Amino acid sequence: MKNKNQHQPEHQFNQSIKRTSLFLDAVRRLRKNKMAVAGFIIVVIYAVISLSAPLLPIHSYKFQILDHRFLPPSIKSAGKILLERERARLLTQAKNAGRDTLLPDELEKLETYEQKLRSDTTIKDGKPIRTFGRIYLLGTDSLGRDLLARIIYGGQVSIAIGLIGSITSILIGTCIGAIAGYMGGKTDYLITRFIDIMYSLPYMMLVIILMALFGRGILNLFFALAFVSWLTVARVVRGQIISLKNSEFIEAARSIGAGNLRIVFKHLVPNTLGIIVVFTTLTIPNFIMMEAFLSFLGLGVQAPFATWGSLIQESVDGMDLFPWRLFFPAITMVLFLFAMNFFGDGLRDALDPQLKNKL
Amino acid sequence: MTKYIIRRLIGLIPTMFIIITISFFIIRIAPGGPFDKDKRYPPEIIKNMEKKYHYDEPILIQYARYMLDILKGDLGLSSAYPDHDVNYFVSRSLPKSVFIGIIALCIAVISGIGVSIISAAKQNSWIDYTAMSVAVFGITIPLFVVGPLLMYICAIRLHWLPTSGWIDGKYGWVTLIMPVITLSLPYFAYIARLSRASILEILRSDYIRTARAKGLSEPVILFKHVLKGSLLPVVSYLGPAMAGIVTGSVVVEKIFRIPGIGHFFVQAAFNRDYFLLMGTVIVYAVILLMANFIVDILYGFLDPRISYK
Repeated sequence: MKNKNQHQPEHQFNQSIKRTSLFLDAVRRLRKNKMAVAGFIIVVIYAVISLSAPLLPIHSYKFQILDHRFLPPSIKSAGKILLERERARLLTQAKNAGRDTLLPDELEKLETYEQKLRSDTTIKDGKPIRTFGRIYLLGTDSLGRDLLARIIYGGQVSIAIGLIGSITSILIGTCIGAIAGYMGGKTDYLITRFIDIMYSLPYMMLVIILMALFGRGILNLFFALAFVSWLTVARVVRGQIISLKNSEFIEAARSIGAGNLRIVFKHLVPNTLGIIVVFTTLTIPNFIMMEAFLSFLGLGVQAPFATWGSLIQESVDGMDLFPWRLFFPAITMVLFLFAMNFFGDGLRDALDPQLKNKL
Repeated sequence: MTKYIIRRLIGLIPTMFIIITISFFIIRIAPGGPFDKDKRYPPEIIKNMEKKYHYDEPILIQYARYMLDILKGDLGLSSAYPDHDVNYFVSRSLPKSVFIGIIALCIAVISGIGVSIISAAKQNSWIDYTAMSVAVFGITIPLFVVGPLLMYICAIRLHWLPTSGWIDGKYGWVTLIMPVITLSLPYFAYIARLSRASILEILRSDYIRTARAKGLSEPVILFKHVLKGSLLPVVSYLGPAMAGIVTGSVVVEKIFRIPGIGHFFVQAAFNRDYFLLMGTVIVYAVILLMANFIVDILYGFLDPRISYK
């Protein structure tokens, strides 16, 4: 084969074109975009961590040890930190009294304190466990719960809200947008007018009212967020459908007797899938932000659950003394938002290069 | 033109009416009432209080009464703070929120456009990259992260600024710095990106090439021809930006403990303080409708292709 190729002149019949599809093309463009790839990797890491949270060697997110409140982030065990704290306290006391070293009875006090710490137990799942050796990598919160566990489990809830919320809103938005675009006429007019009016309302205000009045369950949260966030999707899908509905393949479908529903959901909606996928990735961070916004006002999920937003909200009081409670959830959340946004932007540019730079 | 403005203003009335009606009924059909508290009053007292606020009447009569009161300019009584009526709270808190909001919006627009001009003029230089990285940060990081972080760094660690307070307090005007920065950052960032993109697009257009060919100097082209055209997307973004600032002010007021209207809005929603909640909703609706109205008018001034009929 090789030899044959070398001897033959090049002409149009022995050239082969590498097969490509819209999808492969998009993947190739996406892989060139370094920020998008980095974003994708970070998102995958987050997803793996939150999915495998029960398997990770971390503490429970709701288990409290009141003696371990407000411990700073450290690789040392909680008992050691408490012991050092006590020693430092006694030393300052001694310094104030004009001494450089501890008195024997103070040393003895320290000894008994250590004994007590080492023998301290607490009941967990019906079994007593020792509290001395517990390590809190990211410190603890105001009730002595492990911050690392709370951030990971909070991330689970936050990401779940982002995912489920955007999927719900995209389902609603796609259906309504498709109906408006396909039916046209009065239906279209009514739906667009409704969307316009809803758009002019500050929808977060509406969500605040709904959450405050109807109670603060996770279900209500989904309902309230999905209720207001399908508008953009509906608009975009409507536009797409209008531009597609007079094309030949729809006419063909109609000529072989396909019904309206079939045309909309089997032929039109799949053709808008690209933009829908992009929208989903871009709405997930939005949902996480909206949930965090509500949590920050005290309207998010309720204890013992946590989300990144509620962790940030809890940390604002007393952040002068315990700043790590603010930093870690904030960094975790912002990193995820960044990753998601870069990935979403990259995906948009990859699927539809014409949209690039158009925000 | 005047005719158009008047007609638009009249057109706002039905929208306002719909907003008030919808929010009135949403608020009323929610379970619970203003007197459901941990510490319950005896039933006789609740009866008397319900009588005072007319909660015992059928809801349609209450609705009619409320609409009439609004026409008279009376927003009703607050049930959680019985010493004052809603007008008192609104008149006390609204100026503070409006003040901060307008300053934040102005700063966002002016600095956003300024940065975008520099970025676009020096495209792909380090200034451009820095500005656009800051913009990406500003868009992505939520207000309630920026606010506390700013407070931690500038107030608690460096002691440059007071943590909270208001102009009439002992710290004076510096108390405004952090709330305004927090509130304007995302809109500054968005406007900078939007305006940069549109400037770059216009710079490549034919009429700019013509202007260059005529021998106009670069600053004249940039400021006289490019800028005006590039303002259009920014102006159309002002409506959503205003809505965002109104929403964001709720959080900023909470972080920096400013007794603005956002504070009363959230409090009223929590307390089921019907009239106070309705009052704040009406105020917000008026602000946003007016903002959209002004944006529409501005748009006409900037874009000669739009005519008012």
